[in-house]
Amino acid sequence: MGGAWFDYTVNGFVIGNIYALLAVGLALIYGVANLVNFAHGSVYVVGAYVGWAAITYLDTPLPVTLLCVVAVSALVGVGIERIGLRPLHGSSRIAPLLATIGIALVLDQVVQLVFTPDPRAVPMQVPEWRVAVGGGTIGALDLLIAGIGLTSAVVLYGFLRFTKLGWAVRATAQDSDAAQQMGVDVNRVNMAVFAIASALSGVSGVLVGMYYNQISTAMSFEATLKGIVALIIGGLGNVPGAIAGSLILGLTESYGIALFGTSYRNLFAFVLLIAMLVWRPNGLFAARRALPPEPMTGTFIARSRPVVVPRWAVAALVVAAALLPLLGQPYLLQIGANSLMYAMLALSLTLVAGTVGQVSLGHAALLAIGGYASGLLAMDAGWPVALSIPAAGLVTAALGTLLVFPAFRLTGHYVSIATLGIGEIVSLVILNWTGLTRGAIGLGGIPPLEVFGFDLGSVEGTYWLCLAVLVLLALLQLRLLRSHLGRTWRAIRDDPVAARSYGVSGDRYKALAFGFGGFAAGISGAITAHVYSYINHETFGASISILALTMVILGGLGNVAGAVLGATLLIALPEAFRFLAEYRILIYGIVLLLLIRFRPQGLMGTV
Amino acid sequence: MSALLRLEGVNSFYGPVQVHFDLNLDVEAGQIVCLLGGNASGKSTTMKTILGLQRPGSGRVWFDGADITGLPTPQVIRRGIGSVPEARRLFPAMTVRENLLMGAYARSDRAAIATDEERVLGLFPRLRERLGQRAGTMSGGEQQMLAMARALMGRPKLICMDEPTMGLSPLFVDRVLELIQAINREGVTVFMVEQNASLALGIAHYGYVLQTGRIALQGPAGELLRDPRIRDAYLGGAARDGEGEG
Ligand SMILES: Nc1ncnc2c1ncn2[C@@H]1O[C@H](COP(=O)(O)OP(=O)(O)OP(=O)(O)O)[C@@H](O)[C@H]1O
Ligand SMILES: [Mg+2]
Repeated sequence: MGGAWFDYTVNGFVIGNIYALLAVGLALIYGVANLVNFAHGSVYVVGAYVGWAAITYLDTPLPVTLLCVVAVSALVGVGIERIGLRPLHGSSRIAPLLATIGIALVLDQVVQLVFTPDPRAVPMQVPEWRVAVGGGTIGALDLLIAGIGLTSAVVLYGFLRFTKLGWAVRATAQDSDAAQQMGVDVNRVNMAVFAIASALSGVSGVLVGMYYNQISTAMSFEATLKGIVALIIGGLGNVPGAIAGSLILGLTESYGIALFGTSYRNLFAFVLLIAMLVWRPNGLFAARRALPPEPMTGTFIARSRPVVVPRWAVAALVVAAALLPLLGQPYLLQIGANSLMYAMLALSLTLVAGTVGQVSLGHAALLAIGGYASGLLAMDAGWPVALSIPAAGLVTAALGTLLVFPAFRLTGHYVSIATLGIGEIVSLVILNWTGLTRGAIGLGGIPPLEVFGFDLGSVEGTYWLCLAVLVLLALLQLRLLRSHLGRTWRAIRDDPVAARSYGVSGDRYKALAFGFGGFAAGISGAITAHVYSYINHETFGASISILALTMVILGGLGNVAGAVLGATLLIALPEAFRFLAEYRILIYGIVLLLLIRFRPQGLMGTV
Repeated sequence: MSALLRLEGVNSFYGPVQVHFDLNLDVEAGQIVCLLGGNASGKSTTMKTILGLQRPGSGRVWFDGADITGLPTPQVIRRGIGSVPEARRLFPAMTVRENLLMGAYARSDRAAIATDEERVLGLFPRLRERLGQRAGTMSGGEQQMLAMARALMGRPKLICMDEPTMGLSPLFVDRVLELIQAINREGVTVFMVEQNASLALGIAHYGYVLQTGRIALQGPAGELLRDPRIRDAYLGGAARDGEGEG
């Protein structure tokens, strides 16, 4: 037994080292640029594949492999800085964060196009020996990973402490304006930091590939998340903290697996994340508990005059949409229904991220809650679908609000990170709560749409139902936005401090927004579940959250018509250009990047 | 072009809001020149314009015979301008010594930096006792000294100081003013922003008074000190009246 624990400890330590290589870079980048780099995991994947390619095609020895990885990853890092960061100087805080999400989409898809999505095995480049220690064993690879982790830490310390560029990095992190006034070229510092951080991330990727003997393009998102969790444990921007946070995370995961099994691993990570955000948002090592007021505040809202669509035009569009089934094109209707379901999600997100300014990166979790609620009510409780769907909306409203409630006092980047973590937790709870959700098997045989005996399972029926629901939700949301409640929401977004000083309790109003948003998203998820007839814990994953965010930005944050337009465009256009299907994610990423850079107010303007 | 620093017809904007209106200003080499003005009159923006932190909408900035308008800040610094920013802006987690050496960041002459460190510490003996202390833990007065010492470490021809006496006790204010004079005696030209007119004019050679983005008054320090209008410039209401006349 003791030997097994020793092995779990070694494993946790090794994984911790791998996380540390990721998290240190995130901390450095956060330090100089106040940015959580969501493309970090993508660089890690690039590193893994570069290593794989070098070994496979060039038969490089280990040091040369690592050198190749470092060089290419660093170059990618420099590219991220030039595209995602530098041009956005002076725009709102959340803009570069969203840009890094766009870059992540692009990088992931490019790697996938080049290497295909099939997992690859990374040839082992270290001897296979293991020595027995204290009942357990330690292998050469364990030592290699620990050695690289330690060496990197020492080199980084020396760099920050004893080199001129290292001093500039520290000075920039503490006060970039003042650093400039000492003659520091902050752009160069940022570039250097991105290069170093990305090189470490790439090395981490190739080491993971060797450790698990497998790499795939799907690793990127999880790597980003784990790096962020470690970063938050250590405190944003705290380099030694990031190392400690990584080791804590690695050990927690490893012991968690030992106690509860592999499927709980990520649950531990994300619960740790949320616990940190709620109780110690500044990290384990900071004395202060309150969040620093700057530079976390500020939303993505780029001031603009929204495009006004005359009422008759809206009415005409709705009528035209209602008549669409008369064309007798089932395929078109299917796309239409799909767009409408996404539009409901976008309505919800545009309210939360736009009107209230809480940029949520876990919105798809609301779909999952709605889908499961309605599916289970219909299947296990025998409710009619006409009741289970609105009930799912209410359940999602309540549960969604309750889940984000701990995050209400967070602002800016922290909100995005917290919602991302909560979204993952929802999916992991669905996976592990086998008694209720059937776990990994998923929910099959969900009854089709039907309202009081009318079968809406046909394409036309589904389409009409979605249209009717969307119109109702949109009208309701417009109504709310024009009311006193809408003005209060915007006041909280624009100046939370002032809003509080007028006696407005931000929490209550945020809860109302998440409540209404949860309702719309829950309905959307519920309908989707009945249309698909099968869902599982991965149906509504993080990629849908990101897609929804892209829709909402495309339409114009806070803009109801924009949300519908954004959803329609992003769902329908790729269908129109089916030959581009392979490049869909790439296109989403590029759209996101171009928008943030050139039209942050979106097509219809922010409200 | 005899002046070390010259602002020529500068108009500055923050978005649609204009802050400077046709600003013209000379700083002669070897002098202490002060820029006076009430809150929000555009003093700090003048500093930012000189340092390249804020690009003017139109107009030119000349330094040492060259046009430096729109140059990035690090390059402006490399041409020989030192900055003591508003509210000091030290690197709080770095030690006093590290802050000093950051001041010499733009230089690469190691030996000369070492002798300059000695010279500067001679000027600010208080700092010598605290070389290993974190800058963020020092008192306000000590921080101000460090900010000045840090700027000196760049061996500037011109030092720009934004309200160097802000928030200091009278005793420390006197000390800082003496130090500014000492710095100037070593041949460094000083351009300082101040709200306290009588103190600043007491040590300056020449002064400008900024009112809502325009130079309302200028002249040798001694003359300005005797000018009754100087007082008016600091009364909010009077300042706005003055704008109406001009
Ligand atoms: N970054 C900025 N964005 C928008 N407006 C600004 C910015 N910085 C300054 N301003 C505005 O420009 C005007 C001049 O500001 P400035 O800081 O130059 O004044 P100041 O004379 O230094 O005032 P103080 O004595 O209070 O330091 C003010 O109205 C201020 O609100
Ligand atoms: Mg000022």
